[in-house]
Amino acid sequence: MGKSIQVLQLRHVDAGSCNGCEQELTALGNRFYDMQHSGIDVVASPRHADGLVVTGPVTDTMKRPLMQDWDAVPEPKWLIALGDCAAGCGVFQGAYACYSGVASVRPPDLVIMGCPPLPQDILRQITVWRKTLD
Amino acid sequence: MIAALMTKKEWITNNVRRKNLGAHVLGVTAFAGGHIAVHWLMPSGQVVQDNWDMHGLEFPSLTVELPEMAWDEREIHDVFGYRPQGHPDLRALVRNPRWPDEFYPMAGLNAPQKPPWREVAPNNPEQTVEGEGVTIMKVGPTHAGIIESGHFVFSIIGENILHLDLHLFQNHRGVEGQLQGRLIGSVAPLISRICGADTVSHQTNLAMAVEEMAGYQVPDEIKWQRILLLESERILSHLNDLAQIPAGVGFSVANQKALTMKERWQRGLTVIFGHRLLFDTVHPGKSLAMDTAALGALITQLQREWRPWRSLVQGHHGFQDRMKGVGMVRQSDALRFGGQGVVARASGLTFDARQLMPLYHGWHVDYASETSGDVSGRFKVRLDEVEASWRLMQGVLQRYQIHSALPFWEPPTDLIGQAATFSESPHGLNAHIVAVDRGKVIRYHVRSGTFRNWPLLSKAVAGNAVGDFPLINKSFELCYSCLDR
Ligand code: SF4
Repeated sequence: MGKSIQVLQLRHVDAGSCNGCEQELTALGNRFYDMQHSGIDVVASPRHADGLVVTGPVTDTMKRPLMQDWDAVPEPKWLIALGDCAAGCGVFQGAYACYSGVASVRPPDLVIMGCPPLPQDILRQITVWRKTLD
Repeated sequence: MIAALMTKKEWITNNVRRKNLGAHVLGVTAFAGGHIAVHWLMPSGQVVQDNWDMHGLEFPSLTVELPEMAWDEREIHDVFGYRPQGHPDLRALVRNPRWPDEFYPMAGLNAPQKPPWREVAPNNPEQTVEGEGVTIMKVGPTHAGIIESGHFVFSIIGENILHLDLHLFQNHRGVEGQLQGRLIGSVAPLISRICGADTVSHQTNLAMAVEEMAGYQVPDEIKWQRILLLESERILSHLNDLAQIPAGVGFSVANQKALTMKERWQRGLTVIFGHRLLFDTVHPGKSLAMDTAALGALITQLQREWRPWRSLVQGHHGFQDRMKGVGMVRQSDALRFGGQGVVARASGLTFDARQLMPLYHGWHVDYASETSGDVSGRFKVRLDEVEASWRLMQGVLQRYQIHSALPFWEPPTDLIGQAATFSESPHGLNAHIVAVDRGKVIRYHVRSGTFRNWPLLSKAVAGNAVGDFPLINKSFELCYSCLDR
């Protein structure tokens, strides 16, 4: 992919989650998982991120802010769908004000399933997937 | 039941009288076909209902007399198209400006279809302060951290916040619409995921509604397990919020140690109840197999870690000073706006729905309350509530020795009826208003504790420095998902 990255910096966008996935993403920062130690960080702005990590099924209202955030990430960039909702197989499928996952905006580069996914699974899947990027 | 026709004046005085008697509103629920019901939880624990049948599309607004109804009525206006006559602020709350004009998702009996949205539309109008030197600062809906989505419009002068206009419901999915027409026996996974922080409370409300409609008497073993689950959730959520408040002022040690306790509590709960956030743990007429000895040991382990942490945060004068006098909620405002949970109890109110829940009858609970109304008050209430919940759990565990799952009862598939159930979630009084016909949901309305507290956040930040907003916000720690649905 051309950009060899030592630390994967991600911007989080909640696009309609139940906050369960957020809790587990936050847990990655506690000292049991310590994601920074594995070279993963959640950063404050899309402009200095390598990609987005998206939770929730993508509500109609959040679709545009999500795309704006995506456009603000410099190339090359990656999109991660976190949790069943974002993956397109969550409980909110078919509700009148939301889409069915991140794929309705753009095909994600990595899909992490689970409701919510276990922190160790999030960490492991991102780590394994990153190796395919170099 | 034949209700005599009420005049507009009677409708208002009736509802105001209930508030003056000390009742708490469970929900203002609209039904397809032009019916409004206000459910009140009376101080006796009884739930009473006031009904208004509409002729046409209007109903008398209660907002001027009872400002806590402002958002309920705006929501009804947005999703049913019923007009609350005399409402002082009918700006869209839930409604997205790109919804087609005639789209009122909840107005019909069936689950609404997703209509084609307008490509472009002006944003919903904002409420700002005008004047020399006033700046408008907009934040969100996406945020610079791991936070749910919401849009805030601040009017500021210099460093000071004059007014905060909340534009929430960015995460509105249409859960109540999704529930229309579903078999009541199939909605549990969705109800469990209305909110990741208050899931047990939502699940319990559903289970109690089904049991109430079926006239089923819940055995003690199930009741005891529900208390254990509700208290486990309260501790989990409070540990999270207690970690966030020091994070808001850069007190990293306290933040990390609290997150460590949260993680340990979660790991223990996973072994005992099978899920890190306690999803899918409460079922009508059933209990889970659980290891009570392991739960007792987990509590003891956490208490050992908790005591030095509590001394650390309470003995740190810099941290204590930082919280004092910041983000004040006056008791009169908490009462007027129907504030709930920790927010209300930190402002001198003493209501906790557990006092009125039949589930808790016969158990001793130490209820917490503070009078300072600031960030430190909300922090202290949570500290006391964590300890009280552990004590209550230990009391229950002394009596509760069941180790295996007991499949007591299957709910009937042709259930008919209406129920209004409530519980004390970590974020306050959480109510479900459920109507079912031959096993199918005809209306499912969810009114969580955060719904009542969001408008109070606006009150709390006015007059404070912009830089203190994160701290004040974290001291409320309101979930968006419960609100937006
Ligand atoms: S996948 Fe599950 S935990 Fe994550 S946002 Fe969806 S419902 Fe919540």
